[in-house]
Amino acid sequence: MKTSRFAAWALVAYGCLILAFLYVPLVSVGLASISKARYLSFPIRRYSYDWYGEALASDTVRDLLVISLKVAGIVTVVSMVIGFLGALAFARYSWRFRKTYQKLILLPIFFPQTVLGLALLMWFNTLGVVPSWKTAVIAHLVWIAPIATLVISIRAYSFDPALEEAARDMGASTWDTLREVTIPLLMPGVVSAGLFAFLLSWGNFPLSLFTTGADSTLPEWLYAKMVAGYSPLVPTVGILTVCTSAVLLAVGLTAAWIFKRARAARVS
Amino acid sequence: MSDMPILRINALTKRFDDFTALHGINLNVRDGEFLAIVGPSGSGKTTLIRLLVGMDEPTDGSIWLRDRRIDEVPANKRPTCMVFQSLALFPHRSVGQNIEFPLKLRKVPAAKRKARALELLELLRLPAHYYDKRIDECSGGERQRVALARALAFDPEILFFDEPLSALDYRLRKTLEKELKDLHQRTGKTFIYITHSLEEAMVMSDRIAIMKAGHFEQIAPAEEIYARPVSRFVAEFMGEVNLFDMTGGAVPGLRFGPEATALYGGQSGALMVRPESLSVLAPGQGAEIAFDGVIEAEYLLGSRVQYTVARDGAAPVIVEVLRENAVSGGPGTPVTLGCPASACHLIAQEVQDAAA
Amino acid sequence: MQRRDRQLGALYALPLGVFLALAFLAPILLVAAFSTMPAKVFSLANLPDFSAYYTVLTQGYWKSVMWSLGMALAATAILFVICWPLAYGMAKVFGRFSLVLTIGVVMTLFVSENIRLFGWVLTLMKGGLIEGYVRHWTGAGFDGLLYNVPIIVFGLCYVYLPFMLFPLAQGIAMVPDDARQAAYDLGATRWQILREIELPLAMPGILVGSLLTFVLAAGAIAETKLLGGQAVIVIAEEVETAFTYGQNWPLGAALAMVLIAIVGGIAIWGIGKADLDRMMGRR
Repeated sequence: MKTSRFAAWALVAYGCLILAFLYVPLVSVGLASISKARYLSFPIRRYSYDWYGEALASDTVRDLLVISLKVAGIVTVVSMVIGFLGALAFARYSWRFRKTYQKLILLPIFFPQTVLGLALLMWFNTLGVVPSWKTAVIAHLVWIAPIATLVISIRAYSFDPALEEAARDMGASTWDTLREVTIPLLMPGVVSAGLFAFLLSWGNFPLSLFTTGADSTLPEWLYAKMVAGYSPLVPTVGILTVCTSAVLLAVGLTAAWIFKRARAARVS
Repeated sequence: MSDMPILRINALTKRFDDFTALHGINLNVRDGEFLAIVGPSGSGKTTLIRLLVGMDEPTDGSIWLRDRRIDEVPANKRPTCMVFQSLALFPHRSVGQNIEFPLKLRKVPAAKRKARALELLELLRLPAHYYDKRIDECSGGERQRVALARALAFDPEILFFDEPLSALDYRLRKTLEKELKDLHQRTGKTFIYITHSLEEAMVMSDRIAIMKAGHFEQIAPAEEIYARPVSRFVAEFMGEVNLFDMTGGAVPGLRFGPEATALYGGQSGALMVRPESLSVLAPGQGAEIAFDGVIEAEYLLGSRVQYTVARDGAAPVIVEVLRENAVSGGPGTPVTLGCPASACHLIAQEVQDAAA
Repeated sequence: MQRRDRQLGALYALPLGVFLALAFLAPILLVAAFSTMPAKVFSLANLPDFSAYYTVLTQGYWKSVMWSLGMALAATAILFVICWPLAYGMAKVFGRFSLVLTIGVVMTLFVSENIRLFGWVLTLMKGGLIEGYVRHWTGAGFDGLLYNVPIIVFGLCYVYLPFMLFPLAQGIAMVPDDARQAAYDLGATRWQILREIELPLAMPGILVGSLLTFVLAAGAIAETKLLGGQAVIVIAEEVETAFTYGQNWPLGAALAMVLIAIVGGIAIWGIGKADLDRMMGRR
């Protein structure tokens, strides 16, 4: 009972349709970003790239960019480290509270982010911490570190425990085993978790909204401008952030591909 | 048993993109027969069984169930059933629900289904309380029986088996082989069994079809295949064997008596001698076929002893003798080996396709 | 080895465990504590009087809860139907195209949710991509398609599609091909295979996908605000309003507790049922 050729093609067509549907809004934003008019209305009559020049020259945008990058950068590095250790506890080693731990890690991912942001705001307030981009890093990590852990766990699951045992059997200490066997084997997972962490932090706004205090990230500013006080820079800045993500993702995927090719070439 | 074959395969061909898996094969299966299809991996046996049950469509040729052409009929409409290599028992259903599944699909009332399931549990010698057991609570052998019961539930005309025993350990496999043969006799159904193990095929089946590279090499009862293989491939597939190249009725290094000379005079091909047919000749003892050599290695095989005997300028020969006939003196001992002409078989030429 | 495994496991779990205890569980406990405080206080140094919960019950907030849950349920059901064929294709049919699809869908996740929703606003509003061009070509315009309940559900479906798609595909991939073929061989039709074999065996994936979608959609806020205008107010927005404009932390905390109880309860129940080791492919 193979799927018939017609059914297979129908499914592929359906997949393409869904994919196209997912990208419709980005097309709209893209078109809007090159419309010359201050108040947007379709069909667009005159196109111009002026808004891009203005956005890139704007101090506000530059400040937002710096803060977004700082937050995403720190979140990435921290997520990779805790996620790596967390994944080993999640997937690799059998220990007493592993099942409970697995569930604890999943909870923040399920949690409504607005409520999480507000809860953290209250928490920082109670602790006497003034919210700034640093507290936003904490907020992002509550959501992103568990995701990074899951991404690395998938890699850790396919890891043969006998490899570590063999290393120990040959006289490696716990630290040697970690450095020589575990880390290199999980590296692809750690790198993709880092990519995930950066991109998710870069695009997040519900958590930033309440936890950045006087600072602001790009998505947060965009949201504020969308809800009230529209600026013609919104589509432009939106597209710029999307392009940043796309470029980063492309670099990541290409690097992974080159790495794989190089390794395959070395083996053969 | 009528004379009409229950299953007839006519010039069946299956081509994948750039690879032909089956080359127009023919086969007749008698009603109530236990036929084993044996071949190494890649010989096309899995492709064949998938066509027979209806999981795939043939490129060319036809399949007939009695007088009905079935190659266009989808698997769920064919009155045949397969026992999968993995058994494919449904993990989310109990033993009873698994057995009743095909009956439920056919809208058989619940009470009748249960009665049939219990009947089948009994037939397969499983206790009735297994009805409510979960699949993952059953042992390997029990699962095997549940899978058989499920396959028999809707009373299919032919049962196909795709190496269902291959994943089991040796002893369980041996027990189940006998059980399966016994079940075949009790149910009187036609069984078609695919395996790569000739041993398995020999224990159970009435006839064996040997497959090689998409065609049948030989189709015959086990005894005949063993004693009179039609090709080197079949001879070698049926266990360890000695093959001597014969040209013009002579083999270098072998001495033929009058009977053997008359039998093989002027012929060419491969002369087959099974290791257990050879014996070590006492000094002065003669045989229809005899040759000399030196024992190179000795292996104990339980009740038998096997020797590798080296010969001058020719491939070594394998000999198997009963333990009480073991040669005194180990490797290095020169021996003379011999056998009667009736124990040999000349494979005259390679055969391309065997018709049933 | 076993003892070492146990020690290392606990050791490696420590950083993330401690972090989540401090930055996730503690704030939730704080919210729980605040929800018992009298109205409009900003510290816990007051006697609990649970008046906020009374306000939640009597001031019609249940309507927002119902809107949130109802729309989340609708989005989950719609997404299940939309995603099933696609997930089936990804798990069993596509081969290479699966990867393209996966990358294509995952990429949208990295674009800020508000930009994508804003894109839909631009597409659907009066004078937007659709209405603008229809008017341009036919001469007849119509009102924008925004600011109603169906469009919010549409937005939820759009944003949470990946969260249904991937677990479903994972679930369907767990259905052994042999089981499907055996059922077919035993006489099952396509429909019977779906009902008797595929749905029950893919259940873990269905469960995780539906839960994830439902829980995220129930706590969503941006879809309602951007696409729904003032059509309805969802519970997450009530929480936000109470905290920000209302300056009533205890009320906000009590509303948050209601949402947490519903969402957390469902999430804990669902996570408890799923065998994570198996779903993620432990050897």
